[in-house]
Amino acid sequence: MPNFIKTYVRVVDAVNYRLGRIIMYGIFVMVGILLWSSISKTFFLPSLWTLEIAQFAMVTYYILGGPYSVQLGANVRMDLFYGNWSDRKKASFDAFTVLFLIFYLGVLLYGGIDSTTYSFKYSERSPTAWRPVMWPIKVIMCTGILLMLLQSISELIKDIAKIKGLKL
Amino acid sequence: MPYELIAILMFSSMMLMLMTGQRVFGAIGAVGAIAAMALWGTGGFNIPFSSAMKLMKWYPLLTLPMFIFMGYILSESKIADDLYKMFHVWMGPIRGGLAIGTIGLMVLVSAMNGLSVAGMAIGATIALPELLRRGYDKRMVTGVVQAGSSLGILVPPSVVLVLYAMIARQPVGQLWLAGVVPGLVMAAMFVLYIVIRCRLQPELGPALPEDERNIPLAEKLRLLRAGVLPVAIFAAMMVPFVNGWTSLVESSAIGAMAAFTAAILKGRMTKAVLEVSVRQTLAISCMFMWIILAALSFGAVFDGLGAVKAIDHLFTNQLGLDPWMILVLMQLSFLLMGTFLDDTAMLVIVAPLYVPLVHALGFDLVWYGILYTITTQIAYMTPPFGYNLFLTRAMAPPEITLRDIYGSIFPFVCVMLLALSLIMVFPEIALWLPNYVYGK
Repeated sequence: MPNFIKTYVRVVDAVNYRLGRIIMYGIFVMVGILLWSSISKTFFLPSLWTLEIAQFAMVTYYILGGPYSVQLGANVRMDLFYGNWSDRKKASFDAFTVLFLIFYLGVLLYGGIDSTTYSFKYSERSPTAWRPVMWPIKVIMCTGILLMLLQSISELIKDIAKIKGLKL
Repeated sequence: MPYELIAILMFSSMMLMLMTGQRVFGAIGAVGAIAAMALWGTGGFNIPFSSAMKLMKWYPLLTLPMFIFMGYILSESKIADDLYKMFHVWMGPIRGGLAIGTIGLMVLVSAMNGLSVAGMAIGATIALPELLRRGYDKRMVTGVVQAGSSLGILVPPSVVLVLYAMIARQPVGQLWLAGVVPGLVMAAMFVLYIVIRCRLQPELGPALPEDERNIPLAEKLRLLRAGVLPVAIFAAMMVPFVNGWTSLVESSAIGAMAAFTAAILKGRMTKAVLEVSVRQTLAISCMFMWIILAALSFGAVFDGLGAVKAIDHLFTNQLGLDPWMILVLMQLSFLLMGTFLDDTAMLVIVAPLYVPLVHALGFDLVWYGILYTITTQIAYMTPPFGYNLFLTRAMAPPEITLRDIYGSIFPFVCVMLLALSLIMVFPEIALWLPNYVYGK
């Protein structure tokens, strides 16, 4: 394998790993926001912002955490046949079918960028009482989808290496 | 091309993609995206991303990471050990009592978390070895743990019902309440089965020997304190919610916090437990969320085709079937699919197809949610591809073989089918509680 491909896999895996390790503690951020929401609702005036901030936190959590979950092998597959195959056969099927995944993520990213530029252009706000601007969350989503795309390509390279019996 | 044909084409290409073993979300998402582009050209490009925005707006989904987190804390920190001891001492003297106690344990664990994994872990690692040591029949007890842990998705809080609620656009609160009575009825039926079975064949579940039964009453009462924990966690979640002080989502955060605090107070929150629970919560939440994301874009295209109307028309008008007959047929096909489809895949694929059809036939969607969950429970357990079967294999003591696991579930699946038909015939079992609370 050429050196730049090796570097690509190493960098993408490392970045997504670090990011995922940080994002996973986001569960406490969500708990915190929701607890504050219940406290303020019960004892003071209900906060306007908690609901949407919690939604933004959740989206950040699962979109930016996605690549790390791919690394962890958490995404279920239907193992009707897959489960009984040899590692090499798994790799060769994956190397082909992951192209579909990459295509899907590409379409997702295209739509995301489209929607984000719209948000920038018209400084779109959420139609709620708090009226937060929408572009920050959309930028986060696009970043996450892009990282997911890079991670899928890295998986593809790893599969090809496995088929050819090369070391990365 | 007629719409029915496009729908069938989409569906079969998705099944084909799934068979290749690619990640489920990739398979579903790709078919959705390709279909959207083929149908609406460049306008279709935006469908996947707008599903992501739709997903964000769906507030109850926040309960998902909370309940997954709770479940992992419960099973990793093992704060439920004392609960098992409580049932052991109190139920031990009866024939088959430890198995009955395990069902009780599972009901309490189910009330503290929304997936079946936690019950599975607690049952397989704590209850199973004990039961085997006491000479209980290994097939029966393996079945007990599997059937009992599947209650996790029926007794509130339930993650499956949250997902169903999203697809069916029904209130989560009502669905959860609707799950209470059927969950308890099913637990009672399991208990009844164990009692009858142990009466006929006493060697399956021997009572505890005399010397183990002589436990001072004070000690026995002290053990009851273990029951305080689940009741406290459940109450911390449910009381503010039922009284309308907090929303469902806020309550789930309180529940997660309560479980977390309980683990710290009991000195069980070690670094390793924290690491595993936090990491697994991220992994499982991402797995669910990305699948839902992909399924939503698939569903958006499917809805746009009006495919459900076409199918409904085919069944009722052209084949002249009675709505009930269609419902029974649907449940049967659902069960059949459940035996070879992965449970998560089934949840997101079958529900968007069946739910609108059920609605079109004029059935209550809250009631159907319960039927749906029980069917998923059964599918969880039926070979060759039950999620629970593999989990049991991974967690249970080594003397339990895959054969035992497959053999163990048969009577319990029969009991569950009986419960399913009972609730089909008497919808009041499910609907009584939500109607009473929401005053319909």
